[in-house]
Amino acid sequence: MLRLTLAVARKDLSLTLWRGNGLMQALLLGLLIFFVFSLSQEVGENLSPQSAAAVFWLSSTFCQVLIFNQLYALEEVNNSRLGLLLSPAPIPAVWLGKAIAGFILLLFAQLLFLPAAVVFLGQSLHGPLPPAVAILLLADTGMCALGSLLGALAQGQAARESLLSIVLFPLLTPLLLAGIGVGAQIFGNPSPNGPGAWMGIACAFDAIFLATGLLLFSFIYAGEE
Amino acid sequence: MLELHRVARLYGHKVVFRDVSCTCAAGSITLLAGNNGAGKSALLRIMAGLSRPSSGTAHFTMPAPRVGYLAHATFVYPALTALENLTFWREAYGLDIAPADLLAGLERVGLAAHAHEHAGVFSRGMAQRLNLARVLMLEPDILLLDEPGAGLDADSLALLHQEILSARKRGACVTLVSHDLVNDVPLADRVLLLKAGKLAFNGPVTHFRELAGGTEQACCA
Repeated sequence: MLRLTLAVARKDLSLTLWRGNGLMQALLLGLLIFFVFSLSQEVGENLSPQSAAAVFWLSSTFCQVLIFNQLYALEEVNNSRLGLLLSPAPIPAVWLGKAIAGFILLLFAQLLFLPAAVVFLGQSLHGPLPPAVAILLLADTGMCALGSLLGALAQGQAARESLLSIVLFPLLTPLLLAGIGVGAQIFGNPSPNGPGAWMGIACAFDAIFLATGLLLFSFIYAGEE
Repeated sequence: MLELHRVARLYGHKVVFRDVSCTCAAGSITLLAGNNGAGKSALLRIMAGLSRPSSGTAHFTMPAPRVGYLAHATFVYPALTALENLTFWREAYGLDIAPADLLAGLERVGLAAHAHEHAGVFSRGMAQRLNLARVLMLEPDILLLDEPGAGLDADSLALLHQEILSARKRGACVTLVSHDLVNDVPLADRVLLLKAGKLAFNGPVTHFRELAGGTEQACCA
């Protein structure tokens, strides 16, 4: 299983980062959201830390939708999906491979979104970094586990971007709330409860989304074939 | 090696075929014939395990056989080179093949000179040759071919026929969907003819020819 997972992740990263199948569209959309929200402020005015964290995670979510559409579209060109289904390895290996590739690409995008939050939304980093990194990794894990599952559901659909958004966003709400809650603390809005409770929620939903992906992916990916 | 027992396939309420029972033996080539919409490709996907029958059973008689499936779609990633495509499928199928052997595989299908070219610039015939290299790399016990010759030139077709015969000689169970009966019936040992939702013929190729009065194309009519 691990060999198929790594092969899929390596191939997807190679095609997306170096072969022109493009992360650019996802990055531009994310940065555009920061820019548009920066226009909502008067000159010299800053967005509240809570709002800035919300914009950060909104950009990440839209970026994630485009990333997983892109990753699953790679198999649609010449119907390579059937080739993957014929692999002797368990089919959830494909889900895991896509999730790992998506996770790395999303982290890469967020590395650009963070300075964008500082530049466009006038934020500065106040809180301790370890909780920020931890919530980033936890929220991204759940987002990519679910994104990889629902990306498979949306493959081949004419309106896959909207379908993926409609299905994905409501399910991601708890993770986004956790990300925004901790993000606001990092951007300078301290909470008496600290980040612990949000991290617990993120861990719980990660477990649910990982288990769901592992259990359901084979049925979704095999589809009508 | 591959057994189907009273297999049926329905799309909604429409019966594509039903009561299809047959056996494909090791070291044999079975030609699956029928008109458009008869359900040949659907039956082949059931044989490959890519699709579940609506009723009946399809199973392999040997444990964990290697299944090679070659269809219209080439399974090629256009942005990867020919060699990178093969390398990816080697990893995906968990095969232990040295890089030199991958190059030998490309040589076998006449693509060695194009090993480092992106598959996106390949013609249909070259992409199908690369697909054939992917299947041959598996050394499949069960080789399922869905109109593999569509759009191929004479040289590519000759190569394909040669590899089909090699697979039979190696002991593989080969099932071939084809409309080109004139060229493909001589390759086959048995014929399965799907007609009007049923298996209208299931027998040796010599009987099939007798029924058709010597003209293969007449059989499907």
